[in-house]
Amino acid sequence: MSDPIRTLTAGLLACQTCGLVSRRVPDGRPSYCSRCATKLHERLPRSAENALAWLIAAVILYIPSNLLPVMYVSGIGGGQESTILEGVLSFWRGGDWPIALVIFIASVAVPATKFLAIGLIVWTLYRKSNWARRQRTALYRLVELIGYWSMLDVVVVALTSALLQFEGIGAAEPRLGIVFFCAVVVATMISALSLDSRLIWDNGAHQ
Amino acid sequence: MLMPGSELLVCPHCDALHRPVALGKHEMAVCIACGHILARHHSFTVDQLLALTVAAALCFLIGNAYPLMTIDLAGIHTEATVWGAALLLLHGWTTLPGVVLAVSMFLLPLLQIALLLWVLIFARLQRRAPGLRAALVALHRSRPWSMTEVFLLGALVAIVKLSSWLHVVPGIGLWALATLTILLTILSLVESRFWWSLEQAAA
Repeated sequence: MSDPIRTLTAGLLACQTCGLVSRRVPDGRPSYCSRCATKLHERLPRSAENALAWLIAAVILYIPSNLLPVMYVSGIGGGQESTILEGVLSFWRGGDWPIALVIFIASVAVPATKFLAIGLIVWTLYRKSNWARRQRTALYRLVELIGYWSMLDVVVVALTSALLQFEGIGAAEPRLGIVFFCAVVVATMISALSLDSRLIWDNGAHQ
Repeated sequence: MLMPGSELLVCPHCDALHRPVALGKHEMAVCIACGHILARHHSFTVDQLLALTVAAALCFLIGNAYPLMTIDLAGIHTEATVWGAALLLLHGWTTLPGVVLAVSMFLLPLLQIALLLWVLIFARLQRRAPGLRAALVALHRSRPWSMTEVFLLGALVAIVKLSSWLHVVPGIGLWALATLTILLTILSLVESRFWWSLEQAAA
């Protein structure tokens, strides 16, 4: 398939907010979309750097989010703190494997996939790689699509703590791990939003 | 500088230029370079979109006024709501997840419904909504952070999780939340070009 015409080569700029196509201002002055007043960028500034910085922050936060307990549950026989993986394991052992699977995918697999996917895209951008552009763009879309599902565990912990308020019989409280976990989700989302997938196509065959 | 701009469609993911074509029923426009879905056919009129938005507003109201689930045990009654779950986290050192929860699962869905109502009511009166441009930009910006569907799945997981040793009763709020999720998903299928055409029609 021949390369399609792209806005930059045609001397045009597309607004990332409303999609309106404007003529590019040649001398590099900042220009604004005439329809929605968004500042127009050829590409998001410092895209790969910002994405990488937020990604590194997310990977660092990922460690305490998995090591620290996310919830404390007390019952008649005393109390117990549990991390995300301990929660998944207890469901698995208890035979509730669909729930175990949902929590494992949302809380462990999704963040890990995002780390690998964004890492791969940023690395290939640094290498100015021309490899599998269509597939890498699809990977970017996947990251956008699955990104926020990791908030699932935060919701589960919050709802469980709101419902389990029976002193002496059963009570639940959130623990510090959930703070780190939420921070991981926010950091990976900002990372994905800073990543400009159009850069993948900038070392195209037309050069 | 205004181009005869609406004649060109640019893929936001790879920057390829396209000339839009009229879409038939069940058709969608796909980027020739990267495969991104550029536009879907929809035949919603302003009236229908307004009806969907009013329904979403009602579901939001019910979903937040009634508990999502309740437990009665040893004479104690507890219930969970979206706002209650966020408030619980806002206390103490779990403020960050509390704020994220309140914003993404309560404030932003509320903002989106309010903005859609605002824009569509004026569109129905064939007038340009005051602040239309700001409303459409806010709708675009808030979309990635609006997470009603995640809350719904979280509520279902919490019910299944707790019902292995307690009797959890799903409430009206849960059904309203499920309906709201479906309505917001349908409304999100309407491409941004439709919304911005309201700006152009009025200008």
